[in-house]
Amino acid sequence: MALKVDPMKCTGCRICEFACNYHHDGSISPIGSSLMYYYEEKKNYYGMMVKRDKTLMLGRPEGEKVLMPGEQIEGAGASAKPILLRIACDLCKEEDNGPVCMQACPYGVLSMEG
Amino acid sequence: MTMETMNNYNGTILIVDLDAKSCSTQDLTEELIEKALGGAAINMELYEQYKDREPLILGSGFFTATFAPAACGGVITAKSPITGKIAHVPFGWQTGVELKLTGFDFVVVLGKAAAPVRLWLHDGLSDINDSADIWGKDVWESTDKLREVYGDDMAQMLLIGKAGENKNPLAVVSENYWGGKDKAGLGAVFGAKNLKAVAMRGLGSLEVADGFFQKCVELKNGIIAGTIKGKAGLYDIGTALGIDAAALDKLKSITHRNDAGYNCAYPYYTFLKYNEAPTFVDMMGGSKEPGCLVSDLMGFASLAAAGVDAPRAMEKCYRLGLEPAAAGALLKKQGAGIDGLDGLAAGGAADGLAAWSVAGALDSAIAAQTTAFSMAVPTRAIFGGQLDADGWIKRQALAYVLGIDPVMAVLSPEITVENMAELVQISAEWDDFSADTLNTICAELVKKSA
Repeated sequence: MALKVDPMKCTGCRICEFACNYHHDGSISPIGSSLMYYYEEKKNYYGMMVKRDKTLMLGRPEGEKVLMPGEQIEGAGASAKPILLRIACDLCKEEDNGPVCMQACPYGVLSMEG
Repeated sequence: MTMETMNNYNGTILIVDLDAKSCSTQDLTEELIEKALGGAAINMELYEQYKDREPLILGSGFFTATFAPAACGGVITAKSPITGKIAHVPFGWQTGVELKLTGFDFVVVLGKAAAPVRLWLHDGLSDINDSADIWGKDVWESTDKLREVYGDDMAQMLLIGKAGENKNPLAVVSENYWGGKDKAGLGAVFGAKNLKAVAMRGLGSLEVADGFFQKCVELKNGIIAGTIKGKAGLYDIGTALGIDAAALDKLKSITHRNDAGYNCAYPYYTFLKYNEAPTFVDMMGGSKEPGCLVSDLMGFASLAAAGVDAPRAMEKCYRLGLEPAAAGALLKKQGAGIDGLDGLAAGGAADGLAAWSVAGALDSAIAAQTTAFSMAVPTRAIFGGQLDADGWIKRQALAYVLGIDPVMAVLSPEITVENMAELVQISAEWDDFSADTLNTICAELVKKSA
């Protein structure tokens, strides 16, 4: 099982990122999340990345892409905390109502696959 | 009364003295929160406290940056150079969240800098930096430069362009590249203070009360199943409001994607592409500046009515930091083209403002009671429900106190005083907080802002 992103449903509202942080450490903050929003603002190019256990999923507007260990993220911009240093998605196994990001997203962007 | 204020605030008010070029802090006390809760209502308290120093206040709402529905909002409070009265200008998308997560809940800017400066707020630190490097540069160049200087593409900006530098009452405070909801000329207040920009990067954190997240998810689910269901973008709002069909068709034909502010269940920001195909997507390739993000239907419609290419004219207004609804009305009056916008930004006068500040009967009914809230927000119910002038003012006051996006407050009749009061109770573990108290705080805000 893994978390999946449907990038063209995403509106960049970022609540999934903050919900994920809440799951991991109980607070509201953008830096402890397994999900990370990235954007090229003037191009309106944006999406969500998911740090999975072994791989990295890029929810890019061109389509989804899964990066294997060692692959580079082309064109990645400056970030306060690189996604590769973040804690991996654990699918919120101990949460009563399933992954908190899926609960929080208003647009049905996130789902489980596999 | 007991409350857990750390679930909603950092507990810090920043005082920026531009005359002395120094910063200090004061505590955001429980007494102040109990009296005014947050956002524009606390801004008003701080305005009164410092009113002899021409204060400009940036405030975050009680729920800003939390899981509460549409909790993306901050608010700027100052005296409007247009009305001579108090104006509260909301800022949102990601900028309101960023302010709170810098570690400063409120920022009081006093006096005037001797030379152009900017504020850099980050990680509980505040710097007043010289800004000769960006003074004279347009909003887009300045935003790019500040992100480069501070080394963070996610830094959020409130800033001015040439119009603001010229202290022109048509000047807006822009949110990053894309203008904002400033119809009160607060861009000119930034300019008068020699304050080019407030750059913010927030990596702070707030605590969360038990049960708060689940209650917010319930409220969000009610909103998405409500009147906004099946709707998206500015096109649907404009159609419901009866905005000029030809202007809307143009907008639709070049729509790239609809975007939402932080935790907003309706994406009312619409990105228009006119320098490449609207459907084109490529992170590395294509135009670096393919179009612009529009959320102000009034501005877009006004420019379209002036007979100019409205999307490109919006971009030019954004770059100049010029209010597009007034600019459109003035271009029409002058019979001028897009290039006429340069002249409007350069000037210091605002002839013809009356054409824009009050448009339509309901707006007049609101203006008769208050001019404190932004007329960038549609003044009637959009997809359902009823909203008269009193109702609009009450919903706006609620949004401006709590940090809820003010357009979302109109779009979502599911957000009520009662369920927001319950959310305050849960969020701050504040058992004796009531809907009556919230109503009183909102009514006081309207009264004090008159």
